[in-house]
Amino acid sequence: MQSSMKQNLWGYLFIGPFIIGFLAFTVIPIFASLYFSFTSYNLFTAPEWIGFDNFTKMFTDDARYLHSLKITFIYVFAGVPLRLAFALFVAMLLNTASRAVGFYRTLYYLPSLIGGSVAVAIMWRNIFGDEGIVNLALSTLGLDPIRWFGDPTAALWMLIFLSVWQFGSSMLIFLAGLKSIPQSYYEAASVDGANFLQKFVKITIPMLSPVILFNAVMQTISAFMTFVPAFIISKGTGGPLDGTLLYSLYLFMQGFEFFHMGYASAMAWVMLIIIGILTSIIFASSRFWVHYESEGGR
Amino acid sequence: MKKFLLVLLTMMTVLFLAACGGDDNSSSDGDANTDETSSNNEGTGEEASGEDVTIRVAWWGNQPRHDYTMEVIKMYEEQNPHVNIEAEYASWDDYWQKLAPQAAANELPDIIQMDLSYLAQYANNGQLADLSQFFDSAIDVSNITEDIIDGGRIDDGVYGFNAGVNAVGFQYNPALAEEHGIEIPEDEWTWDDYKEISEKAVDAGIFFDTGMQPDVFFNYYLRQHGDRLYAEDGSGLGYDDDQLFVDFFSMLQEQVEKEATPTPDYLAQLAGPEDDPVVKGEGIGIFQWSNQFVGLEETSGLEFKMVPMPGPNVADGLFLKPSMFWSVSENSAAKEEAAKFIDFFTNDIEANKLILGERGVPVSSVVKDALMEEVSESQAKVFEYIAWVEENSTSMGAPDPAQAGEIIDLLTNLSEQVSYGQTTPEDASTHFRQQAESILGN
Amino acid sequence: MKAKPLKKLIYHIFVGGFAVLLLYPVVWLIVSSFKQSEKIFLTAESLIPKPFTIANYGQGWEGFGDYGFDTYITNTTIYVVLVLIGHLISCSLIAFGFARLKFAGRNFWFAIMIMTLMLPYEVVMIPQYIIFSQLDWLNSYKPLVVPAYFGHPFFIFLLVQFIRTIPRELDEAATIDGSSVFGIYYRIILPLIVPALATTAIFTFYWTWDNLLGPVLYLNSPGKYTVSMALRMFLSNETVSNWGAMFAMSVVSLIPVFVIFFIFQRYVVEGISTSGLKG
Repeated sequence: MQSSMKQNLWGYLFIGPFIIGFLAFTVIPIFASLYFSFTSYNLFTAPEWIGFDNFTKMFTDDARYLHSLKITFIYVFAGVPLRLAFALFVAMLLNTASRAVGFYRTLYYLPSLIGGSVAVAIMWRNIFGDEGIVNLALSTLGLDPIRWFGDPTAALWMLIFLSVWQFGSSMLIFLAGLKSIPQSYYEAASVDGANFLQKFVKITIPMLSPVILFNAVMQTISAFMTFVPAFIISKGTGGPLDGTLLYSLYLFMQGFEFFHMGYASAMAWVMLIIIGILTSIIFASSRFWVHYESEGGR
Repeated sequence: MKKFLLVLLTMMTVLFLAACGGDDNSSSDGDANTDETSSNNEGTGEEASGEDVTIRVAWWGNQPRHDYTMEVIKMYEEQNPHVNIEAEYASWDDYWQKLAPQAAANELPDIIQMDLSYLAQYANNGQLADLSQFFDSAIDVSNITEDIIDGGRIDDGVYGFNAGVNAVGFQYNPALAEEHGIEIPEDEWTWDDYKEISEKAVDAGIFFDTGMQPDVFFNYYLRQHGDRLYAEDGSGLGYDDDQLFVDFFSMLQEQVEKEATPTPDYLAQLAGPEDDPVVKGEGIGIFQWSNQFVGLEETSGLEFKMVPMPGPNVADGLFLKPSMFWSVSENSAAKEEAAKFIDFFTNDIEANKLILGERGVPVSSVVKDALMEEVSESQAKVFEYIAWVEENSTSMGAPDPAQAGEIIDLLTNLSEQVSYGQTTPEDASTHFRQQAESILGN
Repeated sequence: MKAKPLKKLIYHIFVGGFAVLLLYPVVWLIVSSFKQSEKIFLTAESLIPKPFTIANYGQGWEGFGDYGFDTYITNTTIYVVLVLIGHLISCSLIAFGFARLKFAGRNFWFAIMIMTLMLPYEVVMIPQYIIFSQLDWLNSYKPLVVPAYFGHPFFIFLLVQFIRTIPRELDEAATIDGSSVFGIYYRIILPLIVPALATTAIFTFYWTWDNLLGPVLYLNSPGKYTVSMALRMFLSNETVSNWGAMFAMSVVSLIPVFVIFFIFQRYVVEGISTSGLKG
């Protein structure tokens, strides 16, 4: 008894800051937004209770909402795996003992450092423009140039490329994970005559799995909430033909341009549920493939 | 080690409490960061003349506007030593992003630069003060016409004070037109002329124009026919005949089909105004607002000419649009002082020599005359055009309803679908009516 | 043995060449900052600024109204450093609690923490804004900095995942040696998660440096603005944007982030070697 009390005390001492911060700054806003989602609220006057109307409207009377949900799913399910695979590939490429590697690492990270700056939008417009380098490359390969900003499907893919291009944060986390795999494991495997692929499957993937889980969860969540690239690329419209109207962008429009904060809050809670389900699936699956060194996974 | 942890946690608690406690006596602690704002609302509590007041003035814009507005503010502070003005400027997007939560928290600045598309939204929800109570006392309106004042009138109150006016027109490159033997009538032309003349541009292998922003020019077209986009009371659409919708958007589509206007995907590819075919000398002109004229000449380095829109009934179609408003927030504790500053900005000639019509052609006739000599050649053409429109236009009517943002978005979306060939003008017209009426109805 | 230099050469050609491809947009940005503002779009395809000018830098550095660009850089630096300290202390403590201590309600609070990650900021924004306005924290850095001292779910989760990869035997051994719980955190775990802490530092630095929504909401006086807000003021939705100055100052604002990355990335990769711990 005594010792469990003591354990609890230590536990809460350590996570205390989180709980205090949560209670002080987050819990009220969360409940407020939950309440707003059942109201008609324009930010200026008191919210008015309307029950489930916002939710019914979303799924029965708002074609744009369903469209935006659809393209967000495409963005997430195409973008996240591509970005993770690319990040892992580059991380492994840079996980060598070469002296120039620190320099390369910084170079590869540069695209991500530019982040959501306004400069990105205009840069991207030129690179994917009619006379930009991408279309130049396409025509060199004998392909037809593409109007990246004028075609809804192409525009969505451009957003996906942009997210893959900014792979730096996932790469860095992978690198840190790769570095914490004891070198002795590989040495032992080499002695046993394992080739690169065997080492990758038998050592790298299992040892890296907690980090892969982290990246998969975080990238899925953040991909769902992507706002800035879509906003700056489409100049805030989600165009052409709503081709880049990602969920968060539509939510923002409803809340802050049309002043339907109640509807926007309802959208946010639906998104929370969707992300929650996806994350639980990833977490539930993790027991089959994630290997925790500290929890007797040997 | 336990001690270390204890110290750390104590530090964090203290920090938290200090931060929270700071607000109770915010100006007493050494927190230079916050006392500027927090003192604002309390400091302006009593509004006796001569007593020091602080007013927050917020606007959007870019570098030149920020620079000259700061100079105007300094000039005002020198002449009115009891007034301290806190400037809060930002870019357009950031500005509206800030304003909404400020309104929700009752923290709006005293003076707000306001746009037509947001005016009703803020005014109808009791965020803005009626400025007509200050007319002739704090704000001198003797040199401003009724029409211009009414641009900011909602029901019986004036919630936005017109800061300058704009009007639409056709801004074209005369040298290029002449080179291809294209003649654009100086005073009067019709939509039929427009279609005919633009064929010559097609023959020459260049664009005639770059399309028309749907909400702006459809409204012009409706006004030509004696209607308007929104009903006067904002409860629905202002036109009954959907054929007008079909006619207007079919015409735009035909222009695209015969290549007088670029296709929508071509336009979407453009990086910015610098990339525009007209700027690059590959198109004759642009249909746009008069305040964009100076920028057009500046960006292109070319000389442009401004003529009225195609007729008939040009005067019915054209109106003077408030380029922006000055509003005073309802929660301001220094409304009268705020109104005095608006008066200074509107009527003071020295101040306007700094402003030089950058916020739209001045609304005061006296100021406008005084500036004629001062402004650049480019700006002078804008003044001239506005002077012509003043004689050849009708009143704007009630400002856009609160849901205008949503309607504009809907119309833009539908016209995009029409131009991409995803829907017909006929289907779009019924769809627009249905959706718009339901948005405006509630 | 002979094949080795060749292998190395291929590696460098591949890695270097790939970097050039990825960096093209960055190079384009830097080159454009040396072009005349009105020529940027006319000569967009060219990577040689002609004529070469540094006028954009002078113009951008002047800033807006009463404040030069140096004000924005100073503001942002102070803001970033305060958040950085907050994240490093609070997130490592909280993560240790979640990853290593067993206590009632642990899973509940962990779930809550993950949930806070999933709610889009746009909807909690308004209520949170009202809370901060009640505290009289508007137009100050408090709403931006203070929450950092109560942990950030992303970094807590990141650190938890890293702590979980550390063998528990180390803790057990330390406990037998008489170390307290805090001793384990401070002596055993903290040194072993240096790479993850460096990652936290890097991410915090550049996310905070780039953060736009927070500063836009909470800072009203232009003298308190951050770099990311200032950059947007070069653009105009009504008239001509000053692209040259915007690009020039974008380049300037990249430098600190670049330097921080270059310094910290070493710790991400070289700070730790768990080899020999087991086996």
